[in-house]
Amino acid sequence: MLEANRAPLSGAAETDILDGWARQLDDSAAEHDSVPRRICLLCVRMLSITGAGISMVTNAGNRGVVCTTDDVSARIEDLQLTLGEGPCVDAAQSGTPVLIPDLITADDIVVDRWPAFIEGAAAAGVRAVFAFPLRIGAINVGVLDVYRSEPGPLLEGQLRAALLAADAAALALLHIDTASDDLFSDDADARSTYQLQVHQATGIVQVQLGVPTEEAFLMLRARAFALGRPLVDVATDVVARRLRFSVEDQ
Amino acid sequence: MSKGEVAGGPGPERDREQLLAETFVLLADTLVDDYDVVDLLHLLVDACVNLLGVTAAGLLLDDQRGNLAVVASSNEETRLLEVLQLQSDAGPCLDCVRTGVPVSVDDLDADQHRWPVFAEAAMSAGFRSVAAVPLRLRTETIGALNMFQGTSHPMPLNDRRLAQALADVATIGILQRRSTHRSAMMAEQLQHALNSRIVIEQAKGVLAERNAVDMDAAFTALRRYARNHNRKLSELAMDVVRGEIDPTTVQIGRRVP
Repeated sequence: MLEANRAPLSGAAETDILDGWARQLDDSAAEHDSVPRRICLLCVRMLSITGAGISMVTNAGNRGVVCTTDDVSARIEDLQLTLGEGPCVDAAQSGTPVLIPDLITADDIVVDRWPAFIEGAAAAGVRAVFAFPLRIGAINVGVLDVYRSEPGPLLEGQLRAALLAADAAALALLHIDTASDDLFSDDADARSTYQLQVHQATGIVQVQLGVPTEEAFLMLRARAFALGRPLVDVATDVVARRLRFSVEDQ
Repeated sequence: MSKGEVAGGPGPERDREQLLAETFVLLADTLVDDYDVVDLLHLLVDACVNLLGVTAAGLLLDDQRGNLAVVASSNEETRLLEVLQLQSDAGPCLDCVRTGVPVSVDDLDADQHRWPVFAEAAMSAGFRSVAAVPLRLRTETIGALNMFQGTSHPMPLNDRRLAQALADVATIGILQRRSTHRSAMMAEQLQHALNSRIVIEQAKGVLAERNAVDMDAAFTALRRYARNHNRKLSELAMDVVRGEIDPTTVQIGRRVP
Protein backbone atom coordinates (compact mmCIF):
# COMPACT_ATOMS: atom_id res chain seq x y z
CA MET A 1 0.00 0.00 0.00
CA LEU A 2 1.68 3.18 -1.15
CA GLU A 3 0.58 6.73 -0.90
CA ALA A 4 -0.46 8.66 -3.95
CA ASN A 5 1.81 10.94 -5.90
CA ARG A 6 4.04 13.12 -3.79
CA ALA A 7 5.37 16.52 -4.62
CA PRO A 8 9.13 16.99 -5.09
CA LEU A 9 11.37 18.03 -2.23
CA SER A 10 10.99 21.45 -0.66
CA GLY A 11 7.99 22.68 -2.62
CA ALA A 12 7.29 26.35 -2.20
CA ALA A 13 3.87 25.66 -0.69
CA GLU A 14 5.38 23.49 2.03
CA THR A 15 7.98 26.07 2.89
CA ASP A 16 5.10 28.52 3.36
CA ILE A 17 3.37 26.08 5.68
CA LEU A 18 6.49 25.71 7.80
CA ASP A 19 7.15 29.45 7.88
CA GLY A 20 3.61 29.94 9.09
CA TRP A 21 4.11 27.24 11.68
CA ALA A 22 7.36 28.76 12.90
CA ARG A 23 5.67 32.12 13.40
CA GLN A 24 2.79 30.55 15.28
CA LEU A 25 5.10 28.64 17.58
CA ASP A 26 6.81 31.94 18.33
CA ASP A 27 3.51 33.72 18.91
CA SER A 28 2.39 31.09 21.35
CA ALA A 29 5.71 31.15 23.20
CA ALA A 30 4.34 33.66 25.65
CA GLU A 31 1.46 31.41 26.60
CA HIS A 32 1.63 29.22 29.64
CA ASP A 33 1.31 25.95 27.75
CA SER A 34 4.23 23.56 27.85
CA VAL A 35 6.21 23.09 24.65
CA PRO A 36 4.84 19.56 24.04
CA ARG A 37 1.29 20.86 24.43
CA ARG A 38 1.95 23.76 22.07
CA ILE A 39 3.28 21.28 19.51
CA CYS A 40 0.08 19.23 19.86
CA LEU A 41 -2.11 22.31 19.46
CA LEU A 42 -0.18 23.36 16.38
CA CYS A 43 -0.61 19.87 14.92
CA VAL A 44 -4.36 20.27 15.25
CA ARG A 45 -4.24 23.63 13.53
CA MET A 46 -1.86 22.65 10.74
CA LEU A 47 -2.59 19.02 9.90
CA SER A 48 -6.38 19.00 9.45
CA ILE A 49 -6.65 16.53 12.29
CA THR A 50 -9.05 16.46 15.22
CA GLY A 51 -6.68 16.00 18.14
CA ALA A 52 -3.16 15.08 19.23
CA GLY A 53 -1.36 13.64 22.21
CA ILE A 54 2.17 12.88 23.35
CA SER A 55 3.20 9.95 25.51
CA MET A 56 6.58 9.29 27.04
CA VAL A 57 8.14 5.89 26.59
CA THR A 58 11.63 5.50 27.95
CA ASN A 59 14.22 2.86 27.18
CA ALA A 60 13.70 1.59 30.70
CA GLY A 61 10.08 0.88 29.79
CA ASN A 62 8.45 3.66 31.79
CA ARG A 63 5.43 5.18 30.11
CA GLY A 64 3.10 8.06 30.74
CA VAL A 65 0.88 10.61 29.05
CA VAL A 66 2.55 14.01 28.68
CA CYS A 67 -0.29 15.99 27.15
CA THR A 68 -3.43 15.71 25.02
CA THR A 69 -5.57 18.29 23.23
CA ASP A 70 -9.03 16.86 23.97
CA ASP A 71 -10.96 14.05 25.65
CA VAL A 72 -10.75 11.73 22.65
CA SER A 73 -6.98 12.04 22.32
CA ALA A 74 -6.75 11.46 26.09
CA ARG A 75 -8.83 8.32 25.58
CA ILE A 76 -6.48 7.15 22.77
CA GLU A 77 -3.43 7.50 25.01
CA ASP A 78 -5.24 5.92 27.93
CA LEU A 79 -6.47 2.93 25.93
CA GLN A 80 -2.98 2.13 24.70
CA LEU A 81 -1.37 2.49 28.11
CA THR A 82 -4.01 0.26 29.67
CA LEU A 83 -4.25 -2.33 26.91
CA GLY A 84 -0.58 -2.32 25.93
CA GLU A 85 -1.59 -2.40 22.27
CA GLY A 86 -2.20 0.08 19.46
CA PRO A 87 -0.36 2.14 16.85
CA CYS A 88 1.47 4.21 19.48
CA VAL A 89 2.77 1.07 21.21
CA ASP A 90 3.98 -0.34 17.89
CA ALA A 91 5.54 2.97 16.82
CA ALA A 92 7.46 3.18 20.11
CA GLN A 93 8.67 -0.40 19.83
CA SER A 94 9.63 -0.38 16.16
CA GLY A 95 10.90 3.20 15.87
CA THR A 96 8.82 3.56 12.70
CA PRO A 97 5.72 5.69 12.13
CA VAL A 98 2.45 3.76 12.09
CA LEU A 99 -0.10 5.32 9.76
CA ILE A 100 -3.68 4.05 9.80
CA PRO A 101 -5.82 6.22 7.49
CA ASP A 102 -8.96 4.27 8.32
CA LEU A 103 -9.45 2.13 11.42
CA ILE A 104 -12.76 0.72 10.22
CA THR A 105 -11.50 -0.58 6.87
CA ALA A 106 -7.98 -1.42 8.10
CA ASP A 107 -6.72 -4.77 6.88
CA ASP A 108 -7.37 -7.88 8.94
CA ILE A 109 -3.82 -8.01 10.20
CA VAL A 110 -4.25 -4.63 11.90
CA VAL A 111 -7.59 -5.67 13.37
CA ASP A 112 -6.09 -8.92 14.67
CA ARG A 113 -3.19 -7.03 16.15
CA TRP A 114 -5.09 -4.42 18.15
CA PRO A 115 -8.66 -5.78 18.58
CA ALA A 116 -9.40 -4.05 21.87
CA PHE A 117 -7.78 -0.76 20.87
CA ILE A 118 -9.75 -0.58 17.61
CA GLU A 119 -13.00 -1.29 19.38
CA GLY A 120 -12.32 1.34 22.04
CA ALA A 121 -11.00 3.98 19.65
CA ALA A 122 -13.85 3.52 17.16
CA ALA A 123 -16.35 3.82 20.01
CA ALA A 124 -14.70 7.12 20.96
CA GLY A 125 -15.19 8.41 17.40
CA VAL A 126 -11.70 7.89 16.00
CA ARG A 127 -11.39 7.00 12.29
CA ALA A 128 -7.74 7.73 11.38
CA VAL A 129 -4.69 7.42 13.65
CA PHE A 130 -1.10 8.38 12.90
CA ALA A 131 1.62 7.58 15.43
CA PHE A 132 5.11 9.05 15.13
CA PRO A 133 7.95 7.73 17.31
CA LEU A 134 9.99 10.41 19.08
CA ARG A 135 13.37 8.93 18.37
CA ILE A 136 16.91 9.86 17.49
CA GLY A 137 18.48 6.52 16.61
CA ALA A 138 18.67 4.52 19.83
CA ILE A 139 17.33 7.45 21.85
CA ASN A 140 13.68 6.67 22.45
CA VAL A 141 11.62 9.28 24.28
CA GLY A 142 8.02 8.72 23.32
CA VAL A 143 5.33 8.94 20.68
CA LEU A 144 3.25 11.67 19.06
CA ASP A 145 -0.26 10.44 18.24
CA VAL A 146 -2.61 12.40 16.04
CA TYR A 147 -6.14 11.34 15.19
CA ARG A 148 -9.00 12.40 12.95
CA SER A 149 -12.71 11.67 13.25
CA GLU A 150 -12.83 11.33 9.44
CA PRO A 151 -10.90 8.72 7.44
CA GLY A 152 -8.13 9.58 4.99
CA PRO A 153 -4.34 9.72 4.74
CA LEU A 154 -2.10 12.61 5.73
CA LEU A 155 -1.21 14.59 2.62
CA GLU A 156 2.37 15.24 1.55
CA GLY A 157 2.79 18.61 3.29
CA GLN A 158 0.96 17.34 6.37
CA LEU A 159 3.23 14.33 6.64
CA ARG A 160 6.26 16.58 6.44
CA ALA A 161 4.85 18.89 9.10
CA ALA A 162 4.02 15.92 11.33
CA LEU A 163 7.57 14.54 11.06
CA LEU A 164 8.99 17.96 11.92
CA ALA A 165 6.57 18.22 14.84
CA ALA A 166 7.78 14.80 16.06
CA ASP A 167 11.41 15.99 15.81
CA ALA A 168 10.54 19.08 17.84
CA ALA A 169 8.59 17.02 20.39
CA ALA A 170 11.53 14.62 20.83
CA LEU A 171 13.84 17.53 21.68
CA ALA A 172 11.20 19.05 23.96
CA LEU A 173 10.88 15.81 25.94
CA LEU A 174 14.67 15.73 26.21
CA HIS A 175 14.29 19.18 27.81
CA ILE A 176 15.99 20.94 24.95
CA ASP A 177 14.42 24.31 24.45
CA THR A 178 13.28 24.21 20.84
CA ALA A 179 12.82 27.68 19.57
CA SER A 180 10.98 27.89 16.30
CA ASP A 181 14.17 28.88 14.52
CA ASP A 182 15.64 25.47 15.30
CA LEU A 183 13.79 22.63 13.63
CA PHE A 184 11.23 24.57 11.71
CA SER A 185 13.63 26.55 9.63
CA ASP A 186 15.36 25.87 6.36
CA ASP A 187 18.61 27.03 7.91
CA ALA A 188 21.42 24.61 7.09
CA ASP A 189 22.79 24.59 10.63
CA ALA A 190 19.44 23.79 12.21
CA ARG A 191 19.07 20.84 9.87
CA SER A 192 22.55 19.62 10.73
CA THR A 193 21.10 18.14 13.92
CA TYR A 194 20.49 15.07 11.86
CA GLN A 195 23.79 14.81 10.05
CA LEU A 196 25.73 11.60 10.48
CA GLN A 197 28.71 13.12 12.30
CA VAL A 198 26.38 14.24 15.09
CA HIS A 199 25.26 10.67 15.72
CA GLN A 200 28.81 9.30 15.51
CA ALA A 201 29.92 11.95 17.99
CA THR A 202 27.02 11.06 20.30
CA GLY A 203 28.32 7.47 20.47
CA ILE A 204 31.86 8.70 21.16
CA VAL A 205 30.78 11.12 23.91
CA GLN A 206 28.63 8.40 25.47
CA VAL A 207 31.78 6.29 26.01
CA GLN A 208 33.98 9.25 27.05
CA LEU A 209 31.55 10.31 29.76
CA GLY A 210 30.07 6.90 30.61
CA VAL A 211 26.53 8.25 30.28
CA PRO A 212 23.38 7.07 28.45
CA THR A 213 22.98 8.04 24.79
CA GLU A 214 20.39 10.76 25.41
CA GLU A 215 22.66 12.44 27.94
CA ALA A 216 25.60 12.30 25.54
CA PHE A 217 23.44 13.96 22.89
CA LEU A 218 22.46 16.71 25.35
CA MET A 219 26.11 17.26 26.35
CA LEU A 220 27.14 17.58 22.73
CA ARG A 221 24.44 20.17 22.06
CA ALA A 222 25.28 22.03 25.26
CA ARG A 223 28.96 22.18 24.27
CA ALA A 224 28.12 23.54 20.82
CA PHE A 225 25.88 26.15 22.42
CA ALA A 226 28.54 27.12 24.98
CA LEU A 227 31.18 27.45 22.25
CA GLY A 228 28.78 29.33 19.99
CA ARG A 229 29.58 26.91 17.18
CA PRO A 230 27.36 24.87 14.87
CA LEU A 231 26.54 21.44 16.30
CA VAL A 232 27.86 19.66 13.22
CA ASP A 233 31.26 21.42 13.52
CA VAL A 234 31.67 20.38 17.15
CA ALA A 235 30.59 16.85 16.22
CA THR A 236 33.14 16.75 13.39
CA ASP A 237 35.88 17.77 15.87
CA VAL A 238 34.80 14.99 18.23
CA VAL A 239 34.88 12.42 15.41
CA ALA A 240 38.31 13.69 14.26
CA ARG A 241 39.53 13.39 17.89
CA ARG A 242 40.32 17.10 18.03
CA LEU A 243 37.88 17.52 20.88
CA ARG A 244 37.37 15.22 23.87
CA PHE A 245 34.73 15.27 26.55
CA SER A 246 35.88 14.38 30.06
CA VAL A 247 33.94 13.88 33.24
CA GLU A 248 35.93 16.67 34.96
CA ASP A 249 34.77 19.25 32.41
CA GLN A 250 31.10 18.63 33.02
CA MET B 1 40.63 1.29 -15.36
CA SER B 2 37.95 -0.77 -13.67
CA LYS B 3 38.38 -2.83 -10.55
CA GLY B 4 37.90 -5.90 -12.75
CA GLU B 5 41.07 -5.14 -14.69
CA VAL B 6 43.07 -4.62 -11.53
CA ALA B 7 42.08 -8.08 -10.33
CA GLY B 8 43.66 -9.68 -13.40
CA GLY B 9 42.47 -13.11 -14.58
CA PRO B 10 40.82 -14.06 -17.84
CA GLY B 11 39.85 -10.49 -18.82
CA PRO B 12 37.87 -7.51 -17.62
CA GLU B 13 34.51 -8.55 -19.08
CA ARG B 14 34.80 -12.04 -17.66
CA ASP B 15 35.72 -10.61 -14.26
CA ARG B 16 32.77 -8.32 -14.34
CA GLU B 17 30.44 -11.17 -15.18
CA GLN B 18 31.87 -13.09 -12.27
CA LEU B 19 31.41 -10.11 -9.95
CA LEU B 20 27.88 -9.58 -11.20
CA ALA B 21 27.02 -13.21 -10.53
CA GLU B 22 28.52 -12.96 -7.05
CA THR B 23 26.55 -9.78 -6.39
CA PHE B 24 23.31 -11.50 -7.34
CA VAL B 25 24.10 -14.45 -5.10
CA LEU B 26 24.79 -12.03 -2.23
CA LEU B 27 21.55 -10.16 -2.95
CA ALA B 28 19.57 -13.38 -3.05
CA ASP B 29 21.12 -14.32 0.30
CA THR B 30 20.27 -10.92 1.74
CA LEU B 31 16.76 -10.42 0.40
CA VAL B 32 15.35 -13.23 2.48
CA ASP B 33 12.47 -13.05 4.87
CA ASP B 34 13.79 -10.62 7.44
CA TYR B 35 16.64 -8.62 5.96
CA ASP B 36 18.20 -5.45 7.29
CA VAL B 37 17.59 -2.50 4.97
CA VAL B 38 20.74 -0.53 5.78
CA ASP B 39 22.87 -3.66 5.35
CA LEU B 40 21.32 -4.24 1.93
CA LEU B 41 21.93 -0.64 0.87
CA HIS B 42 25.59 -0.89 1.86
CA LEU B 43 25.90 -4.08 -0.12
CA LEU B 44 24.54 -2.17 -3.12
CA VAL B 45 26.91 0.82 -2.87
CA ASP B 46 29.82 -1.61 -2.48
CA ALA B 47 28.62 -3.52 -5.54
CA CYS B 48 28.38 -0.21 -7.37
CA VAL B 49 32.04 0.57 -6.67
CA ASN B 50 33.21 -2.95 -7.54
CA LEU B 51 31.13 -3.45 -10.65
CA LEU B 52 31.35 0.01 -12.17
CA GLY B 53 34.85 0.86 -11.04
CA VAL B 54 33.76 4.22 -9.68
CA THR B 55 35.85 5.93 -7.00
CA ALA B 56 33.03 6.29 -4.48
CA ALA B 57 29.29 5.82 -4.22
CA GLY B 58 26.59 6.93 -1.84
CA LEU B 59 22.88 6.49 -1.42
CA LEU B 60 20.63 9.34 -0.33
CA LEU B 61 16.97 9.19 0.68
CA ASP B 62 14.31 11.86 0.86
CA ASP B 63 13.86 12.26 4.62
CA GLN B 64 10.36 13.67 4.00
CA ARG B 65 11.30 16.77 5.95
CA GLY B 66 12.71 18.54 2.91
CA ASN B 67 16.24 17.14 3.09
CA LEU B 68 18.24 14.33 1.57
CA ALA B 69 19.81 11.99 4.12
CA VAL B 70 22.81 9.71 3.53
CA VAL B 71 21.86 6.09 4.29
CA ALA B 72 24.82 4.29 2.75
CA SER B 73 28.26 5.20 1.45
CA SER B 74 31.13 3.18 0.05
CA ASN B 75 33.50 4.55 2.67
CA GLU B 76 33.11 6.42 5.91
CA GLU B 77 35.45 9.31 5.17
CA THR B 78 34.04 12.55 6.51
CA ARG B 79 34.93 14.27 3.24
CA LEU B 80 32.74 11.92 1.22
CA LEU B 81 29.89 12.24 3.70
CA GLU B 82 30.11 16.01 3.49
CA VAL B 83 30.01 16.02 -0.30
CA LEU B 84 26.97 13.74 -0.18
CA GLN B 85 25.21 15.76 2.50
CA LEU B 86 25.81 19.08 0.79
CA GLN B 87 23.23 18.05 -1.77
CA SER B 88 20.27 18.80 0.45
CA ASP B 89 20.84 22.35 -0.80
CA ALA B 90 22.03 21.84 -4.37
CA GLY B 91 23.68 19.12 -6.40
CA PRO B 92 23.12 16.31 -8.86
CA CYS B 93 21.30 14.13 -6.30
CA LEU B 94 18.79 16.83 -5.46
CA ASP B 95 18.15 17.49 -9.16
CA CYS B 96 17.82 13.76 -9.76
CA VAL B 97 15.30 13.33 -6.93
CA ARG B 98 13.29 16.36 -8.01
CA THR B 99 13.10 15.36 -11.66
CA GLY B 100 13.18 11.57 -11.32
CA VAL B 101 15.69 11.26 -14.16
CA PRO B 102 19.44 10.51 -14.12
CA VAL B 103 21.82 13.46 -13.84
CA SER B 104 25.48 13.37 -14.74
CA VAL B 105 28.40 15.72 -15.21
CA ASP B 106 31.44 14.30 -16.98
CA ASP B 107 33.76 17.12 -16.00
CA LEU B 108 32.98 19.11 -12.86
CA ASP B 109 35.84 21.50 -13.60
CA ALA B 110 34.31 22.53 -16.92
CA ASP B 111 30.77 22.61 -15.56
CA GLN B 112 31.17 24.35 -12.18
CA HIS B 113 28.35 26.83 -12.59
CA ARG B 114 25.55 24.27 -12.15
CA TRP B 115 26.20 23.70 -8.46
CA PRO B 116 29.19 25.85 -7.48
CA VAL B 117 29.37 24.85 -3.80
CA PHE B 118 28.93 21.18 -4.54
CA ALA B 119 31.40 21.23 -7.46
CA GLU B 120 34.08 22.86 -5.33
CA ALA B 121 33.64 20.42 -2.45
CA ALA B 122 33.57 17.40 -4.77
CA MET B 123 36.71 18.52 -6.61
CA SER B 124 38.61 19.23 -3.41
CA ALA B 125 37.69 15.69 -2.31
CA GLY B 126 39.38 14.44 -5.48
CA PHE B 127 36.37 13.84 -7.72
CA ARG B 128 36.11 15.01 -11.32
CA SER B 129 32.89 13.47 -12.58
CA VAL B 130 29.60 12.63 -10.93
CA ALA B 131 26.44 10.73 -11.80
CA ALA B 132 23.15 10.23 -9.98
CA VAL B 133 20.41 7.75 -10.83
CA PRO B 134 16.98 7.88 -9.19
CA LEU B 135 15.44 5.42 -6.76
CA ARG B 136 12.05 5.33 -8.42
CA LEU B 137 8.87 3.39 -8.08
CA ARG B 138 6.41 4.39 -10.79
CA THR B 139 5.91 8.14 -10.29
CA GLU B 140 7.63 8.28 -6.91
CA THR B 141 11.27 9.18 -6.45
CA ILE B 142 12.44 8.35 -2.94
CA GLY B 143 16.16 9.03 -3.30
CA ALA B 144 19.18 8.70 -5.56
CA LEU B 145 22.31 6.62 -6.01
CA ASN B 146 25.29 8.92 -6.36
CA MET B 147 28.57 7.88 -8.04
CA PHE B 148 31.88 9.74 -8.16
CA GLN B 149 34.85 9.25 -10.43
CA GLY B 150 38.33 10.66 -9.98
CA THR B 151 38.66 11.17 -13.74
CA SER B 152 36.56 13.12 -16.21
CA HIS B 153 35.43 10.19 -18.35
CA PRO B 154 31.75 9.86 -19.23
CA MET B 155 30.07 6.77 -17.83
CA PRO B 156 29.44 4.15 -20.56
CA LEU B 157 25.82 3.36 -21.38
CA ASN B 158 26.08 -0.20 -20.04
CA ASP B 159 27.43 1.08 -16.75
CA ARG B 160 24.59 3.55 -16.48
CA ARG B 161 22.09 0.75 -17.05
CA LEU B 162 23.74 -1.37 -14.39
CA ALA B 163 23.73 1.57 -11.97
CA GLN B 164 20.00 2.01 -12.57
CA ALA B 165 19.46 -1.71 -11.97
CA LEU B 166 21.27 -1.45 -8.63
CA ALA B 167 19.19 1.61 -7.75
CA ASP B 168 16.03 -0.35 -8.61
CA VAL B 169 17.06 -3.17 -6.28
CA ALA B 170 17.62 -0.57 -3.55
CA THR B 171 14.12 0.85 -4.11
CA ILE B 172 12.55 -2.58 -3.90
CA GLY B 173 14.65 -3.39 -0.84
CA ILE B 174 13.49 -0.26 0.98
CA LEU B 175 9.81 -0.38 0.05
CA GLN B 176 9.16 -4.12 0.15
CA ARG B 177 10.75 -4.81 3.49
CA ARG B 178 8.20 -6.89 5.25
CA SER B 179 6.92 -5.00 8.20
CA THR B 180 6.41 -7.22 11.20
CA HIS B 181 2.67 -7.17 10.95
CA ARG B 182 1.29 -5.67 7.74
CA SER B 183 1.97 -4.05 4.43
CA ALA B 184 3.50 -0.73 5.39
CA MET B 185 3.31 2.64 3.72
CA MET B 186 6.18 4.30 1.93
CA ALA B 187 6.62 6.87 4.71
CA GLU B 188 6.93 4.13 7.29
CA GLN B 189 9.55 2.25 5.25
CA LEU B 190 11.60 5.38 4.55
CA GLN B 191 11.59 6.47 8.19
CA HIS B 192 12.58 2.98 9.26
CA ALA B 193 15.63 3.04 6.97
CA LEU B 194 16.59 6.55 8.12
CA ASN B 195 16.37 5.79 11.83
CA SER B 196 18.26 2.50 11.39
CA ARG B 197 21.11 4.44 9.85
CA ILE B 198 21.20 6.80 12.86
CA VAL B 199 21.42 3.88 15.31
CA ILE B 200 24.30 2.47 13.27
CA GLU B 201 26.14 5.83 13.40
CA GLN B 202 25.72 5.96 17.18
CA ALA B 203 27.02 2.39 17.45
CA LYS B 204 30.03 3.22 15.28
CA GLY B 205 30.85 6.08 17.63
CA VAL B 206 30.70 3.74 20.64
CA LEU B 207 32.87 1.10 18.94
CA ALA B 208 35.38 3.63 17.58
CA GLU B 209 35.89 5.25 20.97
CA ARG B 210 35.93 2.09 23.06
CA ASN B 211 38.24 0.18 20.74
CA ALA B 212 40.34 3.13 19.53
CA VAL B 213 39.63 2.51 15.84
CA ASP B 214 38.37 4.77 13.05
CA MET B 215 34.78 4.86 11.76
CA ASP B 216 35.53 2.60 8.80
CA ALA B 217 37.05 -0.10 11.02
CA ALA B 218 34.16 0.22 13.48
CA PHE B 219 31.62 -0.22 10.70
CA THR B 220 33.47 -3.15 9.15
CA ALA B 221 33.56 -4.88 12.53
CA LEU B 222 29.86 -4.23 13.09
CA ARG B 223 28.90 -5.67 9.69
CA ARG B 224 31.22 -8.65 10.06
CA TYR B 225 29.88 -9.52 13.50
CA ALA B 226 26.27 -9.21 12.32
CA ARG B 227 26.94 -11.52 9.36
CA ASN B 228 28.93 -14.08 11.31
CA HIS B 229 26.36 -14.24 14.07
CA ASN B 230 23.35 -14.07 11.78
CA ARG B 231 22.07 -10.86 13.34
CA LYS B 232 20.38 -7.86 11.77
CA LEU B 233 22.84 -4.98 11.53
CA SER B 234 20.51 -2.39 13.05
CA GLU B 235 19.52 -4.66 15.94
CA LEU B 236 23.14 -5.40 16.74
CA ALA B 237 23.86 -1.65 16.55
CA MET B 238 21.02 -1.01 19.01
CA ASP B 239 22.53 -3.55 21.44
CA VAL B 240 25.93 -1.84 21.14
CA VAL B 241 24.51 1.62 21.86
CA ARG B 242 22.41 0.39 24.78
CA GLY B 243 25.36 -1.49 26.29
CA GLU B 244 23.75 -4.89 25.86
CA ILE B 245 26.80 -6.28 24.08
CA ASP B 246 30.45 -5.62 24.89
CA PRO B 247 32.03 -3.41 22.18
CA THR B 248 35.28 -5.40 22.42
CA THR B 249 33.41 -8.59 21.55
CA VAL B 250 32.09 -6.94 18.38
CA GLN B 251 35.48 -5.56 17.37
CA ILE B 252 37.41 -8.80 17.64
CA GLY B 253 34.49 -10.91 16.45
CA ARG B 254 34.24 -13.13 19.50
CA ARG B 255 33.91 -12.96 23.24
CA VAL B 256 36.93 -11.98 25.26
CA PRO B 257 38.01 -15.09 27.20
